[in-house]
Amino acid sequence: MDEHLGAEAPADSGTGQSGQAQVPPPQPERPVVPRGKLLMGAVVALALVVGLYFVNRLWIAPAVKIQAKASKDHPVAPDFSLPDISGKQLNLSDYKGKVVILDFWATWCGPCLIEIPGFVALQKRYANEGLAVVGISMDDGQQQVVDFYKQYNMNYRVALGNARLEELYGGIIGLPTTFLIGRDGRIYAKHEGAMDVSVFEEEVKQLLGAPADAEAASFQREGPRTRADQIELGDPKEIDSEVPGVDLTKLTAAQKEDFKKVLAGQSCTCGCKMNLLKCRQVDRQCGVSRKLAREQLDKFLKPNV
Amino acid sequence: MCDGAKMLRVLLSVILAAWTANLARGQEPAPVVQAKWVMATDAAHANSTFKVAVVATVSPGYHINDHKPTLTYLIPTELKLEPLKQISVKDVVYPKGRLKKFGFSDGPLSVYEGTVTVGTLLEVARAVPPGAYTLKGKFAYQACNDHACLPPASVPLTLTLKVVPRSVPLRHMNADVFERIQLE
Repeated sequence: MDEHLGAEAPADSGTGQSGQAQVPPPQPERPVVPRGKLLMGAVVALALVVGLYFVNRLWIAPAVKIQAKASKDHPVAPDFSLPDISGKQLNLSDYKGKVVILDFWATWCGPCLIEIPGFVALQKRYANEGLAVVGISMDDGQQQVVDFYKQYNMNYRVALGNARLEELYGGIIGLPTTFLIGRDGRIYAKHEGAMDVSVFEEEVKQLLGAPADAEAASFQREGPRTRADQIELGDPKEIDSEVPGVDLTKLTAAQKEDFKKVLAGQSCTCGCKMNLLKCRQVDRQCGVSRKLAREQLDKFLKPNV
Repeated sequence: MCDGAKMLRVLLSVILAAWTANLARGQEPAPVVQAKWVMATDAAHANSTFKVAVVATVSPGYHINDHKPTLTYLIPTELKLEPLKQISVKDVVYPKGRLKKFGFSDGPLSVYEGTVTVGTLLEVARAVPPGAYTLKGKFAYQACNDHACLPPASVPLTLTLKVVPRSVPLRHMNADVFERIQLE
């Protein structure tokens, strides 16, 4: 086998006889590489590949993505309307022209509670300059929020959130999650996890100084950044769909009914023991049923593919 | 196979593993708490008690609250069972939490981290005929790390308990789990 390979090997091996000799020149013996060196080489190569993968994954790719978003694409904060804990309607659109700290929190969330005195202080300090703090409590009941509101001398409006609002804001996984909204109604920063009040204060000062009719292009986000802090909003077409998480706007009324029948005839594999339609409707957060339902929609729209 | 081919195969395996891990990141996040039933014996007799336990594992970096949390606003860890006519719940024993100081609390909080074992004493009623009985329940918790909290959640649990005639001896199992729990 080695002889055969040797006969077919390229002639140019540094002897200067390439293309001249009729008979292949004698090949130098292949140097014997010790197994230890080979193993070491393999380990180094492996480390290099793994290292490069993680450098790209954790450093380069997020940086490229963040850079792309930071230049122009500060998404407009989704509007919502909810009754606050005093019973008055709270509309985000009422705050147009103001800087808004939109804080998703809960009374059972320890890290949320350390931020609240800071928000009370910011509201007191910057309200006259155009800041409004808005709290969205993810508690189940209102009474504990009212009690808490009094206990912590909160001085800003608080409403109870719901699943739709969470989805509009891209899915609130961890609490606290805080959005900084500029005078132009765009979201400039998202912070998941408790932050020092100085982080918010620096961002608020920047946004207060920006005009209401233009994007604050020079905005610099403060504080540590993680993957969870990327601003990704939900799509109302999917959120308000009869099959939550699946955009049915391309379907006619009759097609929607047919599609729902297709889903009702399929089992969900997430372990819920429900059909796909039921699982989507009962557990909006289930990623398995969402993926399967979207795949079914693709098949439904392109049956021959 | 030559060394080069071997190396190529190893490299491809690594790239494939990394790619799979990347795909997995796009899926549902892994639950912070996983829980399962363990039984002290392989079956039970009618008119007797039966020990079971829920062994829950909390992901590193996270904690869940003690069954009796330090502060009233915290959501306790709780094993919620739906008793049957044939099987009743006599006792549930929670472990003692670990006192830990967090940046968000003035004093230490009693929490569970790592493995949490909740013991349960069930009682099989007197006239229960031999057969399989299914007990349903859930392990309810609310998890946090140092900086953020996740919404309250629960792990659904289903225990299939075999009731056998008195003449059938019971086989003891999971002694390492049950020797740590004081169930009366």
